[in-house]
Amino acid sequence: MTTTDTSSAAAGVRRSVVTDARDAVELVKDGMTVAIGGFINASHPMTLVRELIRQQRRDLAIVGAASAGLEMDILIASGCARKVITPYVGAEGLGAIGPMFRAMAQRGELEAVELDEAMYYAGLRAAAQCLPFNPWRAGLGTSYPVVNPSLVEFNDPIRGETLLAVPAINIDVALLHAAISDKFGNVQHNGTGFGDRAIAAAADTVVVSVERLVSTEQIRQNPAATSVAGADHVVVAPYGAHPFGSDGHYGPDIAHIRGYVEAATTFLKTGRRDSVDEYLDRFVYGATDDVDYLERIGLRQLLALGEY
Amino acid sequence: MSDTVIGTAEGLSDNGAVVPTLSPKESMAVAIAHDLRDGEWVEVGANLPVPRAGALLAHLSHGPNMTVMLAMTKVNLFDEPVVEDFEFITDPRARRWAEAYYPHDRLLSDMRFRRRGVFFCGGIQVDAYGNSNLIGTGEDYGRLKFRGPGGIGTCNATVHNGRYHLVTTSHDPRVLVERCDYVSALGYGDGSQGIRERHGLPYGGPSSIITPLCVFTFGPDRRAVLSSVHPGTTIDEVVERTGFTFEISDTCGETPGPTPRELEILRTRIDRNGALQ
Repeated sequence: MTTTDTSSAAAGVRRSVVTDARDAVELVKDGMTVAIGGFINASHPMTLVRELIRQQRRDLAIVGAASAGLEMDILIASGCARKVITPYVGAEGLGAIGPMFRAMAQRGELEAVELDEAMYYAGLRAAAQCLPFNPWRAGLGTSYPVVNPSLVEFNDPIRGETLLAVPAINIDVALLHAAISDKFGNVQHNGTGFGDRAIAAAADTVVVSVERLVSTEQIRQNPAATSVAGADHVVVAPYGAHPFGSDGHYGPDIAHIRGYVEAATTFLKTGRRDSVDEYLDRFVYGATDDVDYLERIGLRQLLALGEY
Repeated sequence: MSDTVIGTAEGLSDNGAVVPTLSPKESMAVAIAHDLRDGEWVEVGANLPVPRAGALLAHLSHGPNMTVMLAMTKVNLFDEPVVEDFEFITDPRARRWAEAYYPHDRLLSDMRFRRRGVFFCGGIQVDAYGNSNLIGTGEDYGRLKFRGPGGIGTCNATVHNGRYHLVTTSHDPRVLVERCDYVSALGYGDGSQGIRERHGLPYGGPSSIITPLCVFTFGPDRRAVLSSVHPGTTIDEVVERTGFTFEISDTCGETPGPTPRELEILRTRIDRNGALQ
């Protein structure tokens, strides 16, 4: 990328940050801390997550959304995750607790870093502010500092009261999904954007997959909507959050999510991996890329995912 | 319309008209609604049909100035004929009513506005001193017998909202326990006096535990006390299905049911799909 940078600068041309999923995911190295944006059943960068699994990254510390969905469960199922940092893993009414998350945590084979949502954002804020920690109050007197010893009680030098120091959650690479971007990485979400801004601010490198690439003129029509100003890499990925929803584009594929939950629940209940492996073979490893994945889902099913 | 209270176990109103019997979840929603005051803010979390219905019932029946935080929006639905329910907290349809649409990190960073807030906290365990656990069960944290979903935002919401209730839809001795295996939301701790003040927590502990059978409040020793039982439930049944021992309040009676107007609002404007049945 440096070569491109120099040559584009030399040529007096502003550099495009558009890349493909394979190259973007190659930025992630084994053992890194990687964050996945979105919220429960919406807006996870699944094109990038599936590519991460295909490239068989290992030993990752994965920072989920404040409420992560089953993208986290699938990453656990595929063996990418050594440690997860998120206050929730589940799918609301489709599955109250991520089945693989539950199974692997109960077996003692997964480190789950216990945090409340407010502590989670305090940790991201500390990272964004280049500080070692952010103070927080809620959590004193609970089990959080006991089961998560990285939360440290300290004496506030201003008022002398005891508070919790929530350590910075420093992210190597953040993977997000949004509605649109121009080719220079000016990203706009539809709707809330959930915690994606906070994740981006805590990361060294930000990769955003988008439903559509648009002109910079379109971004300039509503600059206040730019949620990530200057993503490092943009991957064009229509239906890139599938099977989860993407605000303004499609709702969650409930039947598909249920299918995964069923496969993972078989593992939880019996310890047999065959159904979850079959899911991964069919939808991740067996697909050469995410266009192949979408063909496996099928146009008819994709087009039926209206929001209303 | 009269404000006569209806909804006895037999499903008869005071004037003898037959009304469909209140379901346990409807009783819970009504108990929630009766506690809420105009002007308060209520955050309705994910996949929680009972607190949602209770908050909306208060709002539509007596809370024109209440604010409901629904799927990351701020809304006022007082004049809305029918409030559809959403399956997912991420459903963008909430935007049709939104006066604000929050980035989630802002909701979890800004705390001062929550002083007007009333929160409803669930748990895989809730104990006699009002603590709640969403972390898991089992002595060895490294090998939990049951790995819970995680605390979500309950630890924080039970500290920074002006007041809160504990709510569980399963009244079971495995849920209502003497002591939680882990505490993700601090109630009254071990029951010792002043535990919340010692930790500098700005507001009080839980006001009540609302279950499908009854309402517990907390006594001067900060331990759960049976305050009322829902229509169709006996005290013996509550004793049998509760995992901790409790005193019975001198004023313990039937949980007040809805007025005809409240029941109509609940069934025609809030819960048309019968999620509480």
